[in-house]
Amino acid sequence: MKIFCVAVLLLFCGQTVARSLEDIVDSGRIVVAVYDDYYPFSIRHKSNDRVDTYGSDAVGSSGAEAETDEDENALGDLSTDPYRGVPASSGTGIDIDLAAAIAESLDVELELIWMTAGETTEDDLRNYLWKGHIIHGVKADLMMRVPYDRDYTLKRDDIGLLVHELVHMFGPYHVEAWQVAHDTKNLPELPTVSLFSYHPVGVEVDSIPQLYLTSAFNGRFREQARQFNSLQAAFVGMVDEKVHAVMGIRSQVTALHSQLDNARFELAENAFPLIGRQQWDIGVAVHNDYRALGYAVGDVITEKTLNGELQEIFTKYGAEYQMPDYYNY
Amino acid sequence: MQNNRFMKAAALSVMFALGGAGTAVAGVTDKDILADQMTTDDVVSNGMGLRGQRFSTLDKINRDTIQDMRPVWAFSMGGEKQRGQETQPMIKDGVMYITGSYSRVWAVDARSGEELWQYEARLPDGIMPCCDVINRGVALYGDLVIFGTLDAKLVALNKDTGKTVWKKKVEDYKAGYSISAAPIVVDGKVITGVAGGEFGIVGKVRAYDAQNGDLVWERPTVEGHMGYVYEDGKKIEAGISGGAPGKTWPADLWKSGGAAPWLGGTYDPDVDLLFFGTGNPAPWNSHQRPGDNYFSSSRLAIDPDNGEIVWHFQTTPNDGWDYDGVNELISFDYEHQGKTIKAAATADRNGFFYVLNRENGEFIRGFPFVDKINWAKGLDENGRPIFNDANRPGNPANSEDGKKGETVVAAPSFLGGKNWQPMAYSKDTGLFYVPSNEWEMDIWNEPTAYKKGAAYLGAGFTISSIEEDYIGVLRAIDPKTGETVWRHNNYAPLWGGALATSGGLVFTGNPEGYLMAFDDRTGEVVYKFNTGSGIVGSPVTWEMDGEQYVSVASGWGGAVPLWGGEVAQRVKDLNQGGTIWTFKLPKRYENTNLAAK
Repeated sequence: MKIFCVAVLLLFCGQTVARSLEDIVDSGRIVVAVYDDYYPFSIRHKSNDRVDTYGSDAVGSSGAEAETDEDENALGDLSTDPYRGVPASSGTGIDIDLAAAIAESLDVELELIWMTAGETTEDDLRNYLWKGHIIHGVKADLMMRVPYDRDYTLKRDDIGLLVHELVHMFGPYHVEAWQVAHDTKNLPELPTVSLFSYHPVGVEVDSIPQLYLTSAFNGRFREQARQFNSLQAAFVGMVDEKVHAVMGIRSQVTALHSQLDNARFELAENAFPLIGRQQWDIGVAVHNDYRALGYAVGDVITEKTLNGELQEIFTKYGAEYQMPDYYNY
Repeated sequence: MQNNRFMKAAALSVMFALGGAGTAVAGVTDKDILADQMTTDDVVSNGMGLRGQRFSTLDKINRDTIQDMRPVWAFSMGGEKQRGQETQPMIKDGVMYITGSYSRVWAVDARSGEELWQYEARLPDGIMPCCDVINRGVALYGDLVIFGTLDAKLVALNKDTGKTVWKKKVEDYKAGYSISAAPIVVDGKVITGVAGGEFGIVGKVRAYDAQNGDLVWERPTVEGHMGYVYEDGKKIEAGISGGAPGKTWPADLWKSGGAAPWLGGTYDPDVDLLFFGTGNPAPWNSHQRPGDNYFSSSRLAIDPDNGEIVWHFQTTPNDGWDYDGVNELISFDYEHQGKTIKAAATADRNGFFYVLNRENGEFIRGFPFVDKINWAKGLDENGRPIFNDANRPGNPANSEDGKKGETVVAAPSFLGGKNWQPMAYSKDTGLFYVPSNEWEMDIWNEPTAYKKGAAYLGAGFTISSIEEDYIGVLRAIDPKTGETVWRHNNYAPLWGGALATSGGLVFTGNPEGYLMAFDDRTGEVVYKFNTGSGIVGSPVTWEMDGEQYVSVASGWGGAVPLWGGEVAQRVKDLNQGGTIWTFKLPKRYENTNLAAK
């Protein structure tokens, strides 16, 4: 298929719909999209000679962006395969470890695309899975950290078409939930969220925890909500005693908490009344065209779930793991 | 402070009147830019004059002669992807400078249409532009061609070679910032805003030394953030916007208040003020941030020397509809009871047309410029909207049972009664020519949403047309009375800029691809030319070799095809493109007996 494209129809290669399982195995590599610098799922190694590779084949300068402009065509050749990533050694994390296990099972090398998140997951699925990046045209064979949610899968747009028609979401690999960690020095116990009225709480900006703290219960927590650009920054704020608790997604909160002094910082066991979504499944997605790839990847995830390897991956990063109901049969 | 500004304004007027020396640079000077709307042989500013009136005194092309106006060249931007050409061409010394989608720039011979050079910004891997990939044009200064890129940089190119002279990072592209507006140059400083990733950002207006790109001042557009001036490389505090945080924002929400000034601005030398509009506040749901949320959805009058906010006027306090406040504020004078009123007008996304006193921001009058507005019942005596609470999107706390929240129908839709597409003002008729749209939206809190693997509450919306036969309406509006003197309906929404001339004509393009000219007093269509793809750019006119030229970019795209829905049905079959069309009236067709106006 690739040779056919190059030889005959350069014009149409940029519109290659997807790579089949055969294409992936033949090429010896699988391209997997993970979120850029997203602790503890896909942590990017800081590197002085990190170069931008999607934009053109020209090598960038060391560290800072290239200062010279040689009128390189920034959109890239149409003959450039949209399925191209960077080496898996560029990062680590739960999602990357699972992606590596998948690649190993398929007997191919793992390449990563570091996704810059759009406003919602819909944008990410479009930009990195079915349509390609709006500027660079790159696409992934497989995307990690995708909701496994029937209502979401069947969502329709305002003229009745399925929003996610071109992607197949499957292979749930853990259950995500909300979690609070608190500093017992300033907030000894947190049995219920009512204490949020009396203590500053750190949340990531533009997240459900921020929404919850600023509008639930007629806004009674609003004045105590403190926003941070990331959950890591919120944890730093808690260590510095600027906030007495942090609320975020459980994987992140438990992983970060595992790096702190357990005597001082504790994980709370409160409920989140009226929060709308208490728990949801996280899985993967492929382009809808090639189900064989989906079956192969799904089989690997099932195997790693049932033999405990997924639990081990989470434990390695100090994150709490919960098996999805999908496997309880 | 007030006295200094008026003295400087007087000095500028004198300099301008006497044609005195500006800064000693070759090429485009401060004087050229200040005189742009009077001089007809060049176009060296966005808006054809920093006031943004888009009015030309050229009259060779007029009602009687326009049928003989003919295309003289077309220039193709090429490239594998098109996605909308919103540029306004600039012309100086026989060279035209244009920008295209994806941060591209060209210099083209204005007589032959031949390409002189091309520049394509190299965009980094991790870029994810928050908004569209369009670009609205360059600024010219000295021998530099200056523009903003999708990865939020300012780039200055040599006008003869297209090589980079300096490049400055304005904001971090990884946070979703980008630049799509044309910068302006005032007193040797390049002034730019920035487009934001909606969340976690704070908008800023910045001024850079045009010759070397050094930052001169920065002014945050959200209350509570410190502004700075830079002197001798030192960063000096220049006052907190709004005085202090927490006055119009609850808790710490001002820290990521948004209000991105993404459409650039205008400038009036009489009062020596920059006028920049600001975007909507974050988070999008207004129930999370009770209060007016300064200075979101406002027009700011900013001192060009130091970035101080001199006055502000907020068109949509506590904006819950994503109306923004970025639309251009155009300075104009009119007579009232024997006095000259130094006014400025703007047609806001929210459907109201405002006339302000540009010296102090006082509200003179405001009135609807679209047929349907339901988010507000009207404006009070200060120009503040009288909200219709039933049409404000609901409290997200009410969607927290996991079901879709209550749906509200709001008019105008968030795309607005008028969006970025600039209106024009005719000094001859005293009317504003406004490319407007009639549409409304269903909007609700959408709980089936995710962001980066986390459950999320999104904004669900659909946009629909109000009328079967048309969405776009080109309106001729009298700013003194609020009357729509004439209107021209268009099936697809209007998304390109307008131009008014002393030839008694108004030019604009439509998505169907037509460059059209209208009689400025009656609205009669006197000329149409199909350019082959939708027009979302702004037309210009100038004089070269004694003949009058008109030029416009053709290439369908912009925000309308992005937002889909029922409206998309009207535009989904329109083909993309990327071509500059240039027309002229050959000398032999000029008339010596001009029709009486």
